[in-house]
Amino acid sequence: MTPAMIQRGGRLTRRLAILVAVHSLVLLAPVAYADPDDYVAVPGVEYGEREIELRLGTASATDEHRQSAASLAFGYGVTPWWATEIYGKWHRSDATSFDAFEWENRFQLTEPGQYFADFGLLVEIERPRDRAEGYELRLGPLMQKDFGPVQANFNVLLERHYRASEPEETELGYQWQLRYRWRPGFDFGAQGFGDVGPWDDWDPTRDQPHVAGPAIFGRFNLGGRQVLKYDAAVLFKLTNAAPSTTLRAQLEYEF
Amino acid sequence: MLMQMVIIRITNNSTGNVVFLRTASIVIALGSASAHAANEPEFALTLRDHRFAPAEIRVPANVKVRLVVDNQDPTPEEFDSHALNREKVIPGKSKATIYIGPLAPGRYPFMGEFNAATAQGAVVAQ
Repeated sequence: MTPAMIQRGGRLTRRLAILVAVHSLVLLAPVAYADPDDYVAVPGVEYGEREIELRLGTASATDEHRQSAASLAFGYGVTPWWATEIYGKWHRSDATSFDAFEWENRFQLTEPGQYFADFGLLVEIERPRDRAEGYELRLGPLMQKDFGPVQANFNVLLERHYRASEPEETELGYQWQLRYRWRPGFDFGAQGFGDVGPWDDWDPTRDQPHVAGPAIFGRFNLGGRQVLKYDAAVLFKLTNAAPSTTLRAQLEYEF
Repeated sequence: MLMQMVIIRITNNSTGNVVFLRTASIVIALGSASAHAANEPEFALTLRDHRFAPAEIRVPANVKVRLVVDNQDPTPEEFDSHALNREKVIPGKSKATIYIGPLAPGRYPFMGEFNAATAQGAVVAQ
């Protein structure tokens, strides 16, 4: 397939993907509390890039046990506007166990810098090991805007389970980051995550988990196509429903 | 038309889907935004034998511009610039458009990540 063919087919396919994803979420029966290893997704896609990604996170206990999570993924930039990634996810509370498989898809909807902001779409499907949790679908727009050397991201994500043993609400969450582009090997900024509860009936503020804190980012070119990227943050609770401290980190090897 | 049909279908679902409809509308509108192309000044950049020409390209400061990069090599290259916050893979024997700016006056280095030893350049905003 030539680049021109990919571009021509891209626009229609992107829109179809958006519609299918949105329609699926509307039709499916109905959770959201970000995993401690969750990350801020960005709208940009790198065509042809393969990556191995490791995510780690640990959050201080809100009830009995510290909650920790780890994910290992393989990703690929299938087209200039679609990147897909398969995750294996582990979780540790009182014991470590395999938690879920996840299929993540990011669609780049606009060319970076062309409009007042850059837009993308995130579509994730997760199959928890515990079949009683059914399937989990997370979907939402990804937004990015540069203010000189500062990159700002804000994502609004809807999440719901379906075919689960217990009916659950569709929940609304968000994630954001500010990144000051200082040096390729070291950028710094802040990140935040939170959930407001059911999309149509928000929880009282005291019951909503919101966290935010400082973050660092960077990348190292290892030669040729090989790049090592990292990002990490220390997140503090903004509301009592959130863990007092969350540590999260992400390491990507691109090739 | 296809989008309109699907929107109607969504609208006919249960009443509890207003937020989804709004989300769908916003996302679809974003997807359609490409219809409104802007008229930024265009600058050409050529990549041949894993070298950019010109190696230094001057653009007006405080104005959004388009770089049209013509990769004349048979192999792909990734236009990469930390200063410009751009990463874009350009397949061999093809062109790509990269939007940059508005930039404050200054020098913004870029490189071809796959051949960084030779593919080096800079945008100079003035």
